[in-house]
Amino acid sequence: MAVNETGTDYELPCGRDLDALWDRLDSVDEHEATCPHCGTARESLLALRSATAELVAEPDPVPPGLVGRIMSAVRAEARRGQMLDLPTPEPGRVEVSEAAVAVVLRYAADSAGDVRARRCRVRTVGVASDGGGIVEVELTLAVRLGNVDGAETLARVRERVTTAAAARVGLTLAKLDLLVEDVYEDGE
Amino acid sequence: MTGEAEYVIADPVVASVAARAALDTPGVVRLEPGLRGLVTAWTRAARGRWQGLDPAPIDGVRVRSVEGGLTVEVDVVTSAFDQAAAVGRAVQRSVTRGVAEQTGLAVDAVVVSIVDIELERR
Repeated sequence: MAVNETGTDYELPCGRDLDALWDRLDSVDEHEATCPHCGTARESLLALRSATAELVAEPDPVPPGLVGRIMSAVRAEARRGQMLDLPTPEPGRVEVSEAAVAVVLRYAADSAGDVRARRCRVRTVGVASDGGGIVEVELTLAVRLGNVDGAETLARVRERVTTAAAARVGLTLAKLDLLVEDVYEDGE
Repeated sequence: MTGEAEYVIADPVVASVAARAALDTPGVVRLEPGLRGLVTAWTRAARGRWQGLDPAPIDGVRVRSVEGGLTVEVDVVTSAFDQAAAVGRAVQRSVTRGVAEQTGLAVDAVVVSIVDIELERR
């Protein structure tokens, strides 16, 4: 196997090699003292060295819960996409993410019994006089097979979801569509 | 010379005070820094270490001062036991009050973003 003379492709415009510069970082020769390319490269390498030294010296290399914090930040970033305005008399704004509202409403639907909430779509369709958003919700459900009174179950879901929107979020639903798209059996 | 002094309160100070006020509001589970906030927090923590300081957390709080107006933006996670809208309004009030009491600055607007509502976990 042929070995490149310099051992690397990182050659500076002046012809010097970056690896060689890294090896002699503390002893500058005559060329390096005046060459702008070597000077710039040396500065970057020194910054890199001090940064890595700091990381190595860090007594607690991975802060506790780091992965959790990153994942929670990533999730929050995704939720930040669509926000709904909530009414407030104070200067500024109070908004809530559609995803957060969807979780609350799905949970409320599940608590009605005999159904399982699937998708929940929340859309802002206007602004109420108090500054809060007017929203329409479409909730997709699966109902339990053998459920005796479907109409009653859906009425219960409607009541729970509407109540949760008002009590837990502070939203008034202009419209709530319940779509039954599936059935499930007990123990599923 | 009148002997008057002008005090300048830096944004991170306002942010720390606002973060504490928001966290102490009932119904707030935690502040949510987001990716940008996380990076900013690390940079601040690293800088604080070099200077031997332990900076107060400001995760999830941004302070903007535009043309003399001071706006504080807070990203929070609330508990589903409390109404999100009511908690949001309470955060607005406690941030305004906290910043006024501790820095003497008047906040013009507080924007509260509820990124998540925690159900009956934990």
